Amino acid sequence: MKLEPRFPDHTTQEDRELLERRAARVREKPRATEEESVLWAAEFPVGEDSYALPLDTLRAAVPLKMVTPVPLSPPHVIGILRFQGQILTAMSLSSLLGGRGWREDPAVLLVVDPGLGGRLLALDCERIPKPVPLPHALVEEARARSTGAVAEVTLPGLHQVNLLDLRRLMDRRESEKRDA
Amino acid sequence: MLDPMMEQLLPGFVDECKEIAERITEHLIELEKAHEQSRFDDLARGLHTLKGSAATLGLSELSELAHRMEDAVLPTRGRSVALPGALTDALLKTLDTWMAHLRATTAKSALPDLRPSHKLLEAVRHAVQAVEPGKAAANNGKAAAEKEKGKAAPEKEKKTSKREREARAAQARPALAEPVAEEEAAPGEEAGSWRVRTREVVSLLHEVERLREVRLRLEERRREVERALSQLARLGILAQTAEVRALLMGVQRALSADGEEAGDIVASMEDELKAICTLPVRTVLEPLRRSVRDLCKQSGKLARLSIVGGEVSLDRRVLESLRGPLVHLVRNAVDHGLELPDVREGRGKHREGIIVVRVEQQGNMLFLEVSDDGNGLDLSLIKQAARDLSIVPGAELDAMTPAQLHQLIFRNGFSTRRTVTEVSGRGVGMDVVRIQIQALQGHIEVQSTPGQGTRFTLTLPAELGSSPVLVVRCGEHELGIPMPAVETSLLARSTELRMARTRVQLSHREQLITVQDLGALLALRQPEVPHDGQPLLVLQSQGRRIALAVDEVVGDRELVIRPLPPEVRDLAAYQGAATLARGELVLIVRPDWLSGFEKRDAALTGTRRALVVDDSLTARALHRTALEAGGYSVHTASSGRQALEQLRHSSYDVLVSDIGMDEMDGFELTLEARRRHELEAMPIILVSARDSDADRQRGASSGADGFLSKKDCASGRLIAEVQAVIARRQGVA
Repeated sequence: MKLEPRFPDHTTQEDRELLERRAARVREKPRATEEESVLWAAEFPVGEDSYALPLDTLRAAVPLKMVTPVPLSPPHVIGILRFQGQILTAMSLSSLLGGRGWREDPAVLLVVDPGLGGRLLALDCERIPKPVPLPHALVEEARARSTGAVAEVTLPGLHQVNLLDLRRLMDRRESEKRDA
Repeated sequence: MLDPMMEQLLPGFVDECKEIAERITEHLIELEKAHEQSRFDDLARGLHTLKGSAATLGLSELSELAHRMEDAVLPTRGRSVALPGALTDALLKTLDTWMAHLRATTAKSALPDLRPSHKLLEAVRHAVQAVEPGKAAANNGKAAAEKEKGKAAPEKEKKTSKREREARAAQARPALAEPVAEEEAAPGEEAGSWRVRTREVVSLLHEVERLREVRLRLEERRREVERALSQLARLGILAQTAEVRALLMGVQRALSADGEEAGDIVASMEDELKAICTLPVRTVLEPLRRSVRDLCKQSGKLARLSIVGGEVSLDRRVLESLRGPLVHLVRNAVDHGLELPDVREGRGKHREGIIVVRVEQQGNMLFLEVSDDGNGLDLSLIKQAARDLSIVPGAELDAMTPAQLHQLIFRNGFSTRRTVTEVSGRGVGMDVVRIQIQALQGHIEVQSTPGQGTRFTLTLPAELGSSPVLVVRCGEHELGIPMPAVETSLLARSTELRMARTRVQLSHREQLITVQDLGALLALRQPEVPHDGQPLLVLQSQGRRIALAVDEVVGDRELVIRPLPPEVRDLAAYQGAATLARGELVLIVRPDWLSGFEKRDAALTGTRRALVVDDSLTARALHRTALEAGGYSVHTASSGRQALEQLRHSSYDVLVSDIGMDEMDGFELTLEARRRHELEAMPIILVSARDSDADRQRGASSGADGFLSKKDCASGRLIAEVQAVIARRQGVA
């Protein structure tokens, strides 16, 4: 038997819709459960594609200023900068990913912790990233498929987010450097 | 049992006593060679401090033993001759026991027995008192040695009352009136000092760095206010905005003053922290004199340790890590390197061998050299040991050069000693030294000449030591060059320049020196012949001299050079980076890299050249990635004006320019370039963030050959367009 909601006689259609929406929200799963089942990520564009980093690897987003270029450095190195007393390398994410092009000149540097013993890195970014929840199940599925530094997470609605594994990305760079 | 409050003070007391004991050791070793009143007084002060401080903490046994040491040494005060060897031996040995006892007390472990030390001191004191003052130096301490071997001190001496000892000490003390008075002042000094953990100081250093960044942000805010003011002025509504502008101007002035004050605070904090975090290298080197002396006594050798550059100040943590390797190298020099006096004499050498420890800091690199004038590394012994220990296959061993054989001493388990002694033969040594130096991100090299000696050179980064640096400008880059490499600076004059076929030379002090363009060496531009009035720096490094052309000499600075992050640390061109007063980073170029130029000259010849003009660092990096992958050598410029300046001196196969740049946009740059006859045929590609027909048409009408939107610049698109426009141009030609 399906229970029909009961409304006072004087409620308007608009009020009913509002009350139904509220009821639907109450029926949703508790927030804590939702947080347990998603990976929060920082999503941002690289050219035409959408990329994301696990939010817990992001330390800061700073303006792309006061970067000292390093002549003779590899092309993916934009320069060096100071951040909280450390000297960090600022790198071009697009270049690290093999030159995906870009739509607007990056104005932001994301300071990230790739899990290399506390050493931080800065990656350029076209726009300040926005936090997005990625369902854990989809993330795990994408990671299982991926062999490289990028796991392609396909969200409902076929929106694709490329989830970056910074450690793998840096390891790949290191091995390329060694091979060279 | 110690009072719990006193117990808390013990770790700090151990550190304090360690420093005092090191000072006492140094004095004893020197006083054994020759009398020096000021040294003697300091020695007495040190012993007195040990006694007093131990008593304060309730360590009565240690206070008593320090008192005995005083008793032994004070009677020799007025003799003006070197300390007898036996007395020095006894005091050093007792001092070791004293420190061991203190450490054991702190660690709550088994305490060493102090009775033998008391006996030794008693015995040697009587022996020394028995010797006539004039003969004291020549005394070989036989009496002391005999007593040390077992003869108990006379019973009545054992029972000497404390009051009698005090009285005897008092007899000696009038001569020490001055030191004692100073000592009484010392507790006040100690009360005014703290012992701080390293990580707390390091964290404070980081905080200062953060404060410097805040100071930078203040400057940024001031510029933003300045921009707001100029925008308001451009609006032309001066009367209506007068109040707001006055307010903003006040804020701007305040931000400027706050920024300067913050800068002063940062500079002063940095200076203070530098003083806290660094120590002279001699604090580690001086105690080595004791090691040399003791080893010589054991082995019958004669050696003198000479220290050069002990005043160089270094990070305390680095110094602490260097202590072990240095002790090992110096002990090895005595044990393995130096010959016995008779052997040396037979070889025409001085009976006394020399071990030299030389310290030198160049930029943020520390060079430590430990050399001896002994036998040199014995290649046949090294080969034999390597064979016996199966470290290297026999055939391979025979084919090894002397330099390769020298490297075997750094292998794990390697030793040429057949028997294990107190000093060597365990095969635990040079490999550990190498590992310890590598842990400091340094390396060790060895050079040896048979019969003449061995030299170990340790090279390691010295992060906290500051160095004088000459800051120069090259294009839009500011770079630092370590001052020790700069011989002189002068302005170029065409009359002093000689144009050879492949290089430019400077006639300087009757010598011809090759001129190098810093911009070209750093691949920022093509080599340029210095124009009249352009600054030239005469550099000397590793025996080579060059004249380095720069665009401007900004000035000399005392900078703390820090290592580059790992992603760019492999670049041979740089020693590290330093922070200038305004907070920006400046790269420090290696002088030896600058002077070793021949290989790099050839590197850029024969490739096609592209000039990328973009005010975005990322865009320049991405264009460079694509073009270098396509086989181009790429120079970059961050503005149209800079590009035109580079085009004045250099030729390029293609120019790739952004459209939206301040001051001069890509259209204007193209128009300017086309006005120059020599640039008429140069392919130009414009890149825009917007993909509009209007921009395409405007680009074509200004003389550009191609147009790409930034999103088109995906992998392959840029290089394809470059090749297409070059082909079109060549087709036209």
